[in-house]
Amino acid sequence: MFEFAAIVMADFTAPEEIRTNPQSLLLLLPLVVAIAVVYKATKLPRITAGNFLKESVVLFCSIVVFMLITALVLSGVAWLVIK
Amino acid sequence: MTRWESQENPLPFLFLVGLAGWFVPGGGYLLQKETVRALIIFVTIALTFCLGLYIGSIGTIDPIGARPWYFAQIMNSPLVAIIGHFTATGGYPVYARPNEMGQIYTSTAGLLNLLCIVNSVYLAYLRRTKPMEQ
Repeated sequence: MFEFAAIVMADFTAPEEIRTNPQSLLLLLPLVVAIAVVYKATKLPRITAGNFLKESVVLFCSIVVFMLITALVLSGVAWLVIK
Repeated sequence: MTRWESQENPLPFLFLVGLAGWFVPGGGYLLQKETVRALIIFVTIALTFCLGLYIGSIGTIDPIGARPWYFAQIMNSPLVAIIGHFTATGGYPVYARPNEMGQIYTSTAGLLNLLCIVNSVYLAYLRRTKPMEQ
């Protein structure tokens, strides 16, 4: 038991390897999930499983879509500037 | 504009709610018997914070080299200061992308907890007061 705890703790003392590539942008998704869930947990007057899930998913999708649109616009501006 | 009056002095309870929310994410809601809300907030914030520590290691909590991030990180819980005490010696170096991602995750978790603290205190205030008759 102690050894297992020591192994788990050791995982938190050395950083993971993250490369600078398009796939690393996927690390955004867990953060957006956390923001959507916590925000909805504070805002809903009554929490029921169905309603909470629906509201969180809608907020999650809204944030992701808005960020995609922002990325596309910024890419377009960058493309125009370079051209 | 509606004015509010309190039946008793709500300040000690509001302070307790804020303090509980800072020590344990969701603690402020738990004091108000909002168990489900408290549980959701605790699990989400704890997982986000731990994921940040896993990605960037405990070295991402740096009270000396990254002081602005540390202020956001300590909003998770004052227990973060214990980790900061160990990492302040520079024994857990972390650089570049893992450092950035770890700081973003742990700081976002802290700022989300700050939102929960403010919201739980406001909720407690509303429950301890009633609209004043004009």
